[in-house]
Amino acid sequence: MVEFTQEKLDQIQQIIARYPEGRQKSALLPVLHLAQEEFGWLSVETMDYVASLLKLEPIEVYEVATFYSMYHLKPVGKFVFEVCQTGPCMLRGSDEIIDYIREKLNINPGETTPDGMFTLKTVECLGACGYAPMMQLGKFYKEHLTKEKVDRIIEECRAKAN
Amino acid sequence: MGRKLLLEKADVEGIRYFDTYRREGGYRSVEKALKSMTPDEVTEEVKVSGLRGRGGAGFPAGMKWSFLAKPEGVPRHLVVNADESEPGTFKDRYLMEFIPHILIEGIIVSSYALGSNRSYIYIRGEYAWIVDILEQAIQEAKNNGFLGKNILGSGFDCEIFVQRGAGAYICGEETALLESLEGKRGNPRIKPPFPAVKGAWGRPTVVNNVETIASVVPIINDGGAEYAKIGVGRSTGTKLISACGNINKPGVYEIDMTISVEEFIYSDEWCGGISNGKRLKACIPGGSSVPILPANLLLKTAKGEQRIMNYESLSDGGFATGSMLGSGGFIVLDEDQCIVKHTYTLAKFYHHESCGQCSPCREGTIWLDKLLHKLEYGQGTMRDIDLLWDVQKNIEGNTICPLGDAAAWPVAAAIRHFRDEFEWHVTNAQEAQTRNYGLAHYADSIEVTA
Repeated sequence: MVEFTQEKLDQIQQIIARYPEGRQKSALLPVLHLAQEEFGWLSVETMDYVASLLKLEPIEVYEVATFYSMYHLKPVGKFVFEVCQTGPCMLRGSDEIIDYIREKLNINPGETTPDGMFTLKTVECLGACGYAPMMQLGKFYKEHLTKEKVDRIIEECRAKAN
Repeated sequence: MGRKLLLEKADVEGIRYFDTYRREGGYRSVEKALKSMTPDEVTEEVKVSGLRGRGGAGFPAGMKWSFLAKPEGVPRHLVVNADESEPGTFKDRYLMEFIPHILIEGIIVSSYALGSNRSYIYIRGEYAWIVDILEQAIQEAKNNGFLGKNILGSGFDCEIFVQRGAGAYICGEETALLESLEGKRGNPRIKPPFPAVKGAWGRPTVVNNVETIASVVPIINDGGAEYAKIGVGRSTGTKLISACGNINKPGVYEIDMTISVEEFIYSDEWCGGISNGKRLKACIPGGSSVPILPANLLLKTAKGEQRIMNYESLSDGGFATGSMLGSGGFIVLDEDQCIVKHTYTLAKFYHHESCGQCSPCREGTIWLDKLLHKLEYGQGTMRDIDLLWDVQKNIEGNTICPLGDAAAWPVAAAIRHFRDEFEWHVTNAQEAQTRNYGLAHYADSIEVTA
């Protein structure tokens, strides 16, 4: 069963207070972010729970969760490599970086390693064009990627997991 | 030399924090506006400054403010557009990450002018760590009496809230942004009514880009007339340019809109020339949506005049031979880059980002993506090039919001200026898989000595 801690529930009340009275639907995107951080991905159960918290119809949550690309609608690995492939990154060699990660982790974009450690995703422009090629890893950006740097990042992730 | 107004203190250690920012002269504009000016006087200064919206459209900010409806008893809102998602653009991120207080300061002054007691920053979801930086800056400003109730004893109350998006380019369009702020899908609204009349939660709302709001700070400090003296013609003040692609010094630069494109690319003060001693092939000067230009038309207009980094000069010649300053996302392509492949990555982007509301955009972006995929991977025909032209033509102008145009223009410009390269992908399909077309006739006139 999915359930937020009291601390998170209080945080959600604070978020709702940012908007005009009766407009708690505005809290939907922030609350879905919280849910994803807490439960890893957005299952139907999680979305229904969010709907009940914000007094929305479940469909109102589904249509939003499926619209925005940051929400994971299926389980993902412990570490998600979201590598940018748009024009400016392509000009600086993002193709090779994506190929290298595929080879190294033996997965295609959209897949997760069998040990549940890594997911590879290709994403569209993340606003780091001057520091390309790049990827998002959790909350932060990893920029100026090279094969060596990718190796280091993978090692760091593995070390963190142990 | 460029005059700096926004990034002047960017290198001061600790400028991210209130104490340093304040010591360096920060928050003076709040004191000046709240203590000695009426809200209308603040708006007037912004009008006089000639400041144009820095998000890409270039609409005069002061005029936008003056459209704000002020019905009795209805709250109004300022919403800052920090959704920065146009490929090639990363200037707002720089400003928020390193000098967050200039944005907070600008919001307070602008909110005062507009009568917004609750203002919002809508930031793209991926900039997650910047949310923390902004929230810390807001807390610091509050602790020092610049936010909250009765700011500086003026009777003006103001709160700022940061709202995170969740990955959708379309939310940079102001009505899609408002839908998203209300917890919905980012589907742009049909206008009118404009946000100035019916915006967030049906209330009068002004949506401005981060850089636009930050620019209000020097405008109030020095006066709109002083600000208008910088630059040339209707391109007043300074502009942040985020430069990327095949250049030696990618990064964010503040320019005063009087320097030439050539100087901007080749001078060590700015981009530092093309990387690896290569030659310039093409450039998208204002974010991925604006027309790409071959080197010869980038550096000089069709009339043979030197092109300048400002609104008017970059659009000289219309779309036939010119482009746009747009968001200031300056993407440089060297001689080794393939125009077909590059255009294909952009088409994929717009296909992914179309919200799906309007058929011409929803279906058209799929076609652009598929046709370019065919051409790039050696399966294209001459008819596909014509079809590509046809499809983009039928998207342009036929959608609720500008995303349709934004998807169509890069394809149109690529075919307009580089048709021979597209044809070569058809006639030499095998060869095109192993090597790029090269510079051909659009080389710059600058000799590389390095």
